[in-house]
Amino acid sequence: MKTHLSAFSAALAATGLLLTGCSGGSSEGNAGGGGNGKDLEVVSFQGGFGIDFFKQAATEYESKHPGVHIKVSGGPRVWEQLRPRFANGTPPGLTWPGWGMDYWALIYDNQVFPLDDALKTPPYDGKGTWKDTFDPSLLKLGEYQGKQYELPYHYNIMGWWYNPDTFTKHGWTVPKTFKDLLDLAPKIKAAGMAPITYQGMYPDYTIKGFLFPWVISVGGIKAADDAQSLVPGAWKSAAFLKAAQMIKQLRDSGFFEDGADGLSHTQSQTDFLQGKAAMIPCGTWLESEMRKTMPPGAKMAFMLPPVVDGGAGDPSAIMIGIEPWIIPTAGPNHDLAIDFYKYMTSVDKAKQFITQCGTLTAIKGSDQITLPPLLVEPARLFRESKTVYSIQFDTWYSTLGTESKNAMAALLNGSNTPEEFVDRLEAAAEKVRQDKSKPVHTMTH
Amino acid sequence: MKRAMDSGKKALTTLGLIVFTLAVVVPLLWMTLTSLKSGPEIFASPWGLPAKIHWENFSHAWQTAGIAHFFINSLIVTTATLAILIPVGAMAAYIFARYPFPGSKFLFGTFLGGMMFPQFLTIVPLFFLMNSLRIGAFSLYDTKLGLTVVYVAYSLPFTVFVLTGFFQTLPKELDEAAMIDGAGHSKVFWRVMLPLAKPGLIVVGIFNGIGLWNEYSLALVLIPSEENRTLPLGIANLVMVEHYQSDWGALFAGLVIVMLPVLIAYWIFREKIHETMLAGAIKG
Amino acid sequence: MRNRGRTAFIVTYLAPAALLYGVFVIWPVLQAIGFSLFKWSGLSSKKTFVGLDNFKQLFHDSVFWEALLHNAWIFVFGGGAILIVGIAVAHGTQGEGRLTKVLRSVYLFPNIMSLVVVAILWEFVYDPHIGLVTSLTNLFGGSHASAPGAVVQNTSILGNPAKALPAVIITFVWFSVGFYIMLFSAGIRQIPQEVAEASKLDGAEGLFRFRKITLPLLWSVGRISVIYLVINTLNVFALVFLMTQGGPDRKTEVMLTYLYEQAFVNSDYGAATALAMANFVIVMAVSGVVLRLTRKDPSGAVQ
Repeated sequence: MKTHLSAFSAALAATGLLLTGCSGGSSEGNAGGGGNGKDLEVVSFQGGFGIDFFKQAATEYESKHPGVHIKVSGGPRVWEQLRPRFANGTPPGLTWPGWGMDYWALIYDNQVFPLDDALKTPPYDGKGTWKDTFDPSLLKLGEYQGKQYELPYHYNIMGWWYNPDTFTKHGWTVPKTFKDLLDLAPKIKAAGMAPITYQGMYPDYTIKGFLFPWVISVGGIKAADDAQSLVPGAWKSAAFLKAAQMIKQLRDSGFFEDGADGLSHTQSQTDFLQGKAAMIPCGTWLESEMRKTMPPGAKMAFMLPPVVDGGAGDPSAIMIGIEPWIIPTAGPNHDLAIDFYKYMTSVDKAKQFITQCGTLTAIKGSDQITLPPLLVEPARLFRESKTVYSIQFDTWYSTLGTESKNAMAALLNGSNTPEEFVDRLEAAAEKVRQDKSKPVHTMTH
Repeated sequence: MKRAMDSGKKALTTLGLIVFTLAVVVPLLWMTLTSLKSGPEIFASPWGLPAKIHWENFSHAWQTAGIAHFFINSLIVTTATLAILIPVGAMAAYIFARYPFPGSKFLFGTFLGGMMFPQFLTIVPLFFLMNSLRIGAFSLYDTKLGLTVVYVAYSLPFTVFVLTGFFQTLPKELDEAAMIDGAGHSKVFWRVMLPLAKPGLIVVGIFNGIGLWNEYSLALVLIPSEENRTLPLGIANLVMVEHYQSDWGALFAGLVIVMLPVLIAYWIFREKIHETMLAGAIKG
Repeated sequence: MRNRGRTAFIVTYLAPAALLYGVFVIWPVLQAIGFSLFKWSGLSSKKTFVGLDNFKQLFHDSVFWEALLHNAWIFVFGGGAILIVGIAVAHGTQGEGRLTKVLRSVYLFPNIMSLVVVAILWEFVYDPHIGLVTSLTNLFGGSHASAPGAVVQNTSILGNPAKALPAVIITFVWFSVGFYIMLFSAGIRQIPQEVAEASKLDGAEGLFRFRKITLPLLWSVGRISVIYLVINTLNVFALVFLMTQGGPDRKTEVMLTYLYEQAFVNSDYGAATALAMANFVIVMAVSGVVLRLTRKDPSGAVQ
């Protein structure tokens, strides 16, 4: 009996060994350029505006370049399918993996192809260099150690939204400063609305909509840059403490919508559109996201978060976020991927993207069209802004990102005081500093 | 006095059961109701009746998600999996239940252990494995066959566990009697034991079937293409795409469409299920 | 005669299952376990051997212990509720009344729904403005609104640090209980008719009969149920992930949601597999204890 069992387990072990031998686990796939020069696989995150634009671009490109075959696919959680592919060394040729993918781990591992050389070459329509076609402040966000890894395509602008009709009806003016806000809020409450609502289940929104704008307003852009650069003490600076206190003040005064800390993005945004709340932080994707549940007649307009009176920060400071595309190093066809991306980033295609998808692109001159009405104000504010910034620490340091979201939730629901809040942030930053395996990034202006 | 207490108890029991029934049924009715409303209406009057029945939610869900195609893929994979799983699982369970050998307890424990390991950690090694099990250019990755085989493997612990229990309850005298009549081991299994374990097979069939029908994480990684996509993936896509575009009416319609076949199938077979369970008990 | 061809029979009948299981489950699991000794991002080809560092880190990780505690709450309260409701409903639906017939047909409904559906459904039920819970509370004159100046002030449920976990547990019970009702029903039906009838003749009625006759005979089914509960509560993932992502501020964090975070947000595959192994050991240990403690049923028969 015993011999049978051991024979059996031996067989099992042998099969296992056989299979390990076969399974590659290394990414020693083609280091670019190899493979059939005529095939390209493009995998894209599928969000608010879908992937039809990219599919269309692929078809157009194919007709301009006979013999080329581009396959575009995607999904709302596409990173889950991409992860094993990167680990296995068989990623697609060009991809926008979406917010769930750890880009930086890929970059540190040399799995992303640096594009500096490609940027020196002419763009699709042949004039000048490809690099010049991008807005430099956006291009910078995709750099690491001086090399360009991520390419921005479209970008979002983050701010607050309000209903202009409601404001006009009640004779309210859009608050430009925090004091304006404090004066306006009781009037809004008297009219039966909550002054501000927010997406409680996703503290990301409030970190970007409340915390950082006020940190910058109080302490200048350096306060935010130092924090993102992990300068010791930056996360519990006076600016951070003050911003946290401002948030607490709004909460204690009852100016937040009741129950907001348990609301999802769709719920809180719907409340805003239904007129239950007067203002909400969100990005320029708001309209396309809410299009199908918008009550008839609902209107929205963009505003910068109110600044702090007498603060050190630039009142025109504006927050943006890019959605990065990358070319994997192990992707089989760099040249074709680059050329197709050049096509996508040609000015005409970029203009078309804005019109079709309702979001601004990083291509210079692409906004010289009749913009969709809701983008007019954000685009103007972006153009006129003297300080454009982006939140990246959460992608660079995931543990700090997670802890910042948890702490924000605690601050908003009252479990943490502002002092406890900043202490938690600083402690999380210190943990990252201690972790020698994490490369350090710096944020400057 | 006892009568009063009895009817009091009975009333309480009945009340309890009614509350329970409502707790189960109301959310599902609500979901169906919501699928007939327009997007804004869902938020404006979530518990009221729809002003107008929006059948287009269903056609929209059908078109956007391509449900018919995913439905068929799921049907193929689920049926194939069950067809392999039940015999293979029953055979192994029979051994564990009635043919102990040195190390059989350990082996059984290994099967159980599999139920306890979180699946998504094995996804990366599994992905490599599926890609490397190939004949020429044809690998098991992104195929319904590959998915079926993996599903069988991952459903074995539960199946073996339950069926072993069922086989253990059958009286020992049965196989002795059968063998005296001249039947070999396999005949005893197929002719005598398996039919007696029908309640167990039904339970196992139902629960595996349901689990397979709703399975998401393995399919997500092993079936990237739309061609072989199963229903849960299609629905999750629908939920997430609609989530982003907030077409809640179509979302709920999609959920109802997915849920309906399972509900109907269960409804059709519900009496059979109870019947077989009862029959099994009387015999015992 | 019994031994004739016995070995061949065993091997033939075990082989298909063992082979499939070994190749597609055990082998990947062993590989995954191996990863716990490395530092690996899950995305790269480079792995660094770190020995038991991941485990040391885990032991000192307060988030892990917090998550484990939450799993324990789910097991005790969720599991307890499931057992009570499961046995009660199974017992109550033994008759042939119309209500019981209806109930018998529907109690499995929640269990056959996809978890995505369940999560969305209950998010709406718990919605602070339009949800069923709020509506019912208002109906009975209560109110979720907190007193002005209260430390934690909100009407939200899933966002409320004190209410989030109980809310998730309730959803978990709603979803799971059908399966256990079925198990207990099957178990009750296996109670030999003669015993049931004899006890009735003796005048044993209702609760007394239930306690003295039904319950002991349900012992083995009960054991299986508790083992399942151990596994399902310690390994709960999808429902929590979909409803709260472990929030707010980790108040509903469970071992597997943290594991997901380690593997796919922090790209620390080694830490994640170390956690998986710890989870596995805990499940085994608790199951073992349960099996030991429930060896004897009340009637004295040893299992």
